Amino acid sequence: MTTVITKMITRICLPLVILFSISLLLAGHNNPGGGFIGGVMFASIVALSYVVYGLEEIKKSFSPDWGKWFGFGLVLAACTGFAALPFGHNFFRSAVEILDIPLIGEIEMVSAALFDIGVYFVVIGSLLSIFQMVGEDK
Amino acid sequence: MSSLNHHYPILLIAIPILVAALTIMLRSRPKLQTGLSVLASFSVVLISSLLLMKVWNSGIQVYEVGEWGKYGIILVADLLSASIVVLSSGVSFLSLIYSLDYIKKRSLSTYHPLFNLLVAGLHGSFLTGDIFNLFVFFEVLLLSSCGLVVALEKDGITKSSDKLEATFKYLILNILGAALMLIAVASLYATTGTLNMADISVKLSAMQAAGTLPWHVFAIGLLFIVVFGNKAAIFPLHYWLPDVHPTAPSPISAMLSGVLIKVGVYGMLRIFFFVFRDVLGMFQPIIIILALFTIGIGAASAVAQTDVKRLLAYSSVSQIGYVFLGIGFGSLGAIAASLVYMFNHAIAKSLLFLTSGGIIHHAGTRDMNKMGGMVNSSPFMAVAFLIGAMSIAGLPPMGGFISKFVLFDAGIIGKYYTEIAIALLFAIFSMFYMFRAWLLMFWGEKRDVKAYGEYSEHGSSPLVYLPIVFLAFMVLALGVYSEPLLSLAQATAAQILDPQAYIEAVLTRVVR
Repeated sequence: MTTVITKMITRICLPLVILFSISLLLAGHNNPGGGFIGGVMFASIVALSYVVYGLEEIKKSFSPDWGKWFGFGLVLAACTGFAALPFGHNFFRSAVEILDIPLIGEIEMVSAALFDIGVYFVVIGSLLSIFQMVGEDK
Repeated sequence: MSSLNHHYPILLIAIPILVAALTIMLRSRPKLQTGLSVLASFSVVLISSLLLMKVWNSGIQVYEVGEWGKYGIILVADLLSASIVVLSSGVSFLSLIYSLDYIKKRSLSTYHPLFNLLVAGLHGSFLTGDIFNLFVFFEVLLLSSCGLVVALEKDGITKSSDKLEATFKYLILNILGAALMLIAVASLYATTGTLNMADISVKLSAMQAAGTLPWHVFAIGLLFIVVFGNKAAIFPLHYWLPDVHPTAPSPISAMLSGVLIKVGVYGMLRIFFFVFRDVLGMFQPIIIILALFTIGIGAASAVAQTDVKRLLAYSSVSQIGYVFLGIGFGSLGAIAASLVYMFNHAIAKSLLFLTSGGIIHHAGTRDMNKMGGMVNSSPFMAVAFLIGAMSIAGLPPMGGFISKFVLFDAGIIGKYYTEIAIALLFAIFSMFYMFRAWLLMFWGEKRDVKAYGEYSEHGSSPLVYLPIVFLAFMVLALGVYSEPLLSLAQATAAQILDPQAYIEAVLTRVVR
């Protein structure tokens, strides 16, 4: 798997796929997309680079604790649910705010997107921690 | 701002999930993790008791998650849900306290998040009013319990390879069960066009009245019997349980036998007496026959066991049969009796599993033939095990006596003489195997001196004793003063058999 071609293509794909996964994530709350598929896409490109360059090689430069990502995502998602309570609403009630920023235009700020970001991190963290653990084989 | 007590149902699910997330982040700080976990578990016990009081005083509580009205996900707390949540939160709190000392420190950092997720899954499946969410929470509790079964005890008497083998069986069978459940839920959705349990119930009743009930509703009903029968380990799907429950660490065995198999009972009550309430008649004989086989096979297998935890697991199979017998009879008294039975069995079996953990630690083996004479070296465990054994055997003044009494009483009133005779025969079996176990372990002479050489001081920790003392006290209290439980069970059974209040509470909602 470590031919020059695969290495080169992985290097080209890496930023594109990550950007696309983020765009899927941000579209998710009312368009096709979402935290889950965005997270799977991010996890798959990282997994691909693990396979192509070797786990040890990647870990020298980039070695986060994927379990922490999982935990952070779950905390974020749970807190999004709890955030509705102080405003006198039920759990998971979402809020919508439309911001008008000059030059960029209207941006729809939805609290459900925060939940989606949580899901994104949960999916990345769980998939990659399993992948890494199986790959390390200890 | 609405007051906090309106949010009780969701807090029971959301607090454990949030704490699970926080404990994942705090894996390197074991003290903080433990404190947070215990605090959350205790607050969940408090909230569940408050919820039960609220339901008792002011009727069924409905909570709309995300305020989408009856079309969104709703949580419903009626008497059945609220009381069973009190039971499960209580047992899980005591198990958590016990496991702080019992589980190996190395396993504990992963144990806390999984334990909290298990509690969230349990409470979610008891409280949800939406059949698809029932499936989701079943998956949550299945996966987290798989992780907990392989957690390591301090002494490591059970080999990791045994644990993995048992977990593999458990996982595969329950994933098959989950797939069947998904098919059943999807068929129900295709038939009625809704996933809200109250709505499904109303639509099926209307179809029955109009005579347009499609035949495949019966197939769906049978699928649900398989699904919940697999969860509750009734015959012929009981064979995974005696592998999984003994290999799990003792506090997790207490959770599995005390609460997890009750999820199947809960699902049976909910689906058959609520969703399928007008088409129930056909399924009752099936449930009775399966229950009788479960009672017989569980009891007969338990007699021959030499492994103490395996014996307790087979006993769980047999006892859950009695609960299903009451469900099969289907009268008000019989359902109340099976609820009482469920409560008493949960408490007594948790007590027995927690005690057996202490005994195994003391003896250094799970084989009862190698124990003996332990009444001198650990009188506390002897008394606690005796109390639990008497309750399972159905001797007064323990809770188990009351539950067997009301169940047989309800059966005789319903003229199920043959069924009661069979159940009574195997009740004698249960007396025999429980006392055989007690005599083998505590009476007589020390048989294997070498095993005692590994005596560890860890059995003397108060964290191990306190839950056992509390559970033993509860077994006695429910036997001596069982009036509150009986009246609660009566009221719950009345609510189960007449679900009109539930339907009104759920379906008369304003949509945002």
